[in-house]
Amino acid sequence: MSSFADPIVDGARRARPVRPRRAPVSRLGLILMAPALLLLTLFFFLPVALTGVFAFTDLSTSTGIGRGDYVVTPTLLRQLGDKGLSDTDAEAVARSSVTVDAAGLARARAAGVDDRFLDEIERRFMGRDYEAPAGFVRDLRGLRTAPRRPRDLKSAAALFETSVLNQRFATSQALAAQLEAMAPEIAPAVRARIVEASFTGARFTTENFRTLATQKETARLVGNTFLYVGATLSLFNVGLGLFLAVVLFYMPKGASSLFSTLWLLPRITPVVLYAVMWKWFTWEGGFLPILADQVGLPSFNYMKGSVVTAWATMITLNGFIGASFGLILFSGALRAIPLQQLWASEVDGASRWQQVRRIILPQMRWPILFVTAYQTLSLLSSYEQIWLTTNGGPGRTTSVWALEAFKTALSNYTGNLEYGMGAAMALVLVVVGLALSLIYLRLFKFSELVGRPKIEI
Amino acid sequence: MRLNLENFTKCFDGTPVIEGLNLTVEDGEMLALLGPSGCGKSTTLLSVCGIYRADGGRILFGGRDVSALPSQRRNVGVVFQNYALYPHLTVEENIAFPLTVQKPRPSAAEIARQVREIAELIHIDALLGRRPAQLSGGQQQRVALARALVRKPDVLLLDEPLANLDAKLRLEMRSEIRRIQLETGITAILVTHDQVEAMSMCDRVAIMDKGEILQIDSPTQMYRSPANRFVAGFLGNPPITFLEGRTGPEGRFSMEAGLTLPLPSHLRGMPSGRPIALGLRPEHFGHGGQGQATGRVTFVEPQGREMLFDVQAAPGVTLRSIQPTRDDVSIGDEVTWKVDADRMLAFDAEGRRL
Ligand SMILES: Nc1ncnc2c1ncn2[C@@H]1O[C@H](COP(=O)(O)OP(=O)(O)O)[C@@H](O)[C@H]1O
Ligand SMILES: [Mg+2]
Repeated sequence: MSSFADPIVDGARRARPVRPRRAPVSRLGLILMAPALLLLTLFFFLPVALTGVFAFTDLSTSTGIGRGDYVVTPTLLRQLGDKGLSDTDAEAVARSSVTVDAAGLARARAAGVDDRFLDEIERRFMGRDYEAPAGFVRDLRGLRTAPRRPRDLKSAAALFETSVLNQRFATSQALAAQLEAMAPEIAPAVRARIVEASFTGARFTTENFRTLATQKETARLVGNTFLYVGATLSLFNVGLGLFLAVVLFYMPKGASSLFSTLWLLPRITPVVLYAVMWKWFTWEGGFLPILADQVGLPSFNYMKGSVVTAWATMITLNGFIGASFGLILFSGALRAIPLQQLWASEVDGASRWQQVRRIILPQMRWPILFVTAYQTLSLLSSYEQIWLTTNGGPGRTTSVWALEAFKTALSNYTGNLEYGMGAAMALVLVVVGLALSLIYLRLFKFSELVGRPKIEI
Repeated sequence: MRLNLENFTKCFDGTPVIEGLNLTVEDGEMLALLGPSGCGKSTTLLSVCGIYRADGGRILFGGRDVSALPSQRRNVGVVFQNYALYPHLTVEENIAFPLTVQKPRPSAAEIARQVREIAELIHIDALLGRRPAQLSGGQQQRVALARALVRKPDVLLLDEPLANLDAKLRLEMRSEIRRIQLETGITAILVTHDQVEAMSMCDRVAIMDKGEILQIDSPTQMYRSPANRFVAGFLGNPPITFLEGRTGPEGRFSMEAGLTLPLPSHLRGMPSGRPIALGLRPEHFGHGGQGQATGRVTFVEPQGREMLFDVQAAPGVTLRSIQPTRDDVSIGDEVTWKVDADRMLAFDAEGRRL
């Protein structure tokens, strides 16, 4: 028993512990590996890390990635109003006042207002404050040099208005000070909230995840993703792949290699071409609808015309790509079964079906699990075929998580790309993928599979 | 059950590997198909069990032509060289497999009973719960044997069953397989390239070369009286020594290198000048007889109980002798030993026995 004892404990007991010598890591080796490590960091760890960071921000097209300013916009006031800002406070913030001072005059001069008019304003009203712009306009109208047209008069007067609205402040203190000056009646806590909300740059927040957890859309997306991955995987990647592999296994050699090459076509066709082919195949005037029309079946755009056909199209076109992967892997695994085992089962009396059911399939456990694991991960994160075909339609009925993440972050109609939200969705995928990988590794019973057989002769 | 091959022919890609082979295995007999690698033994075996289809001739089980039957319906038990156990099934499930694919399927209790019965016969009842990967080579082979026998097949076929075992296990399994064959009384064919296996395990041996059966006989008879030079050379360890020469006057045989020996007595009347080959087995040199040969000992191989000597009797002519271990002869000694001329085997130029 002692010979099996923990080597460290065992070593400590001895007078001179015998330690296995570590091979020294040569410096040259490190140098040679450096480019690979660098690339690994650059192309693998960095994107994942950045995704992790972006996921906790509200980065979007409107925030940009530079430093933000503090701006109170009418839109912001409306949004704050939705979140409980009182109307009186909102009006106070939006309030504008008029002050005749050097800055106002300079603004007006720069805007091209008549110099004589400005001189007169300076002489008559310098240093005066008006609560409301209307009083100022009335005073201006009385001036000799005032412009004739009311529009010009008004726009000139507007140049002396000061308001917090739409003004950019570099710091939160500057905005807070201005707010306090203009609307002192607003409570400090409310003011702080307004200042906080007025920041236009990106902020760290867990809001993305809260939104994902609470919005109704999430449940639909999750359900769709499950359906998409589950159906594609079981029907095609594993089901069809296994079926084809077994059929080809029993076929004469020449025919079987021809067929396996045929099944590779969807995989080696460029994805755009493949998507176009499917459009020809399923759109109105395409192959299938015409065929259906001939035999009197409903004929319409199968790819986008109804939820059921959209799903069928999407699963089938993705499945045909994945089936070849399973086919190749399963074929290899089948050929690895010793021929004599199959002979033995035949002389033992097993029919072809019994041979497949009882001898071949049980030995495909490992490749089936492998294909399932590998393809779950790649199906979870792939969206380009869907994007190029149904694009999640009709409506968003066939949209899946990865596609939605891609659209949120990188491609949508409104033009406001929500990088932070997209990253959060991507991060969810990464975490789910990692968790699944761990589960799969447990399922494989990896150690048992690679363990050496206990043969004593 | 008696087994016949009549004019059996098998081709691969149009070239015949076996042509017009005839073979009969009597009911309850164990016959060895012995021959060098590549001579067509496995091909014959796989055709008997139906994995290969015969390209000509008939295969009869107890007089019934099975040539057209698929292997599932021939009721043969086969032990393959690498045992071909099903790795995902336990020993018990492996043995039960032939029963569970039967239609109608026997009851679970019946299957369990038969598995236990055969496992006891083959001494593997303690291993039933294990998987093939957890068994030693000898144990795997026993399982393969049990699986082949559980269905009570008409014929048992064994393809090089001992080739993958180490020397000690091979010895043990040799007698085990024979014991099981005798106890079940099953008709069996053992394919092997090992003459010791063939001779020690079987009632009769069929020697095969290049797809042809050269001789079928009991092991002793075949050793004593081989039909031709190939058989004589194939059987015997250490092997027979062939001496090429011509018949001389007065019933003698002489070689160009200078060695002369008396001809076996039944050939003494042969006219002189005929080219013949004499086969001298090591046990017939140095043990008495009318002839004698003198030469220098060039090699001594102690084997424990016996010793092997190489004696150079003439330039390029080495005779081999096997004798009980002795200490008085060593390399370089000159010896004169008797040759048992009457027990030498003589062959004509075509290799036929004279
Ligand atoms: N499946 C096959 N296809 C083509 N040739 C074969 C095949 N099986 C065996 N042969 C050839 O037939 C001959 C006999 O082979 P085999 O019966 O396996 O010999 P062995 O006596 O060693 O068992 C060999 O020359 C071998 O090359
Ligand atoms: Mg063979």
